[in-house]
Amino acid sequence: MNKQLQPEQIRQLLNRSIAQMDQPTLARLRDARTQALARHEARSQAPAFALAGLWPGHGHATGSQQKHYHWAAVILFAACLFSGAAYWQHANKEHDIGEVDVAILTDDLPIEIYVD
Amino acid sequence: MIKARLPGLIICITLLLQANFAVAAAGTSWSQLDPAQQEALHPLSTQWDTLDPRQQKHLLSAAKRYPKLTPEKKLRFQNNLPKWVKLTPEQRNRAREKSKALKKLPPAKLEHVKQQVREREASKSAAPASSVMPATPAH
Repeated sequence: MNKQLQPEQIRQLLNRSIAQMDQPTLARLRDARTQALARHEARSQAPAFALAGLWPGHGHATGSQQKHYHWAAVILFAACLFSGAAYWQHANKEHDIGEVDVAILTDDLPIEIYVD
Repeated sequence: MIKARLPGLIICITLLLQANFAVAAAGTSWSQLDPAQQEALHPLSTQWDTLDPRQQKHLLSAAKRYPKLTPEKKLRFQNNLPKWVKLTPEQRNRAREKSKALKKLPPAKLEHVKQQVREREASKSAAPASSVMPATPAH
């Protein structure tokens, strides 16, 4: 019933179908192919930021891909925020330590008093 | 493909953001210090390279304030440096806590405490055997 077609048979069938097509249809197919190739090339050249949905030419993502981009942007933002906060806190602490150390080192009381 | 790239991208950006911490964790050699830092930390020139990177960082932070000190405080700062680096990290932390606590006192009370400490020190100098810091053992 359902005959299993080999790739070579499929190719021949398709070639035969193309031969039966009229010229305008063939022209439209050719244009569609050219456009698809151009879009593919543009997307593959887009920088990594395209992943976060920031690349202007990035408008062909599917729904699930866009959801993925959205989460990637959220995670990146959270990572930046966390790192920034941690660095700020660290820098502040170091600044305070430097200030206290100078106060001890320049005090008229000997250091031993602070260690005692 | 996107799913495969995404974790790598996030890790790369996070690592880049953390680079400051990594740079801060590395030690600095004496020759890498600028002239102002070398001037402030001069008493430590011979032992600087052997100091813990974290300790170096704290000292560099303190050295930033050195140019603004009065000549008298500059002298105290440099005289105290060798003793300061000999302390253990725990001792230095304890000293910082005490300094912070003293700073919170009202000026009159602070002066009173300092006066008491000076008197106590003076009485200890009169009897060296009971010194706060153990003196160099007699040979």
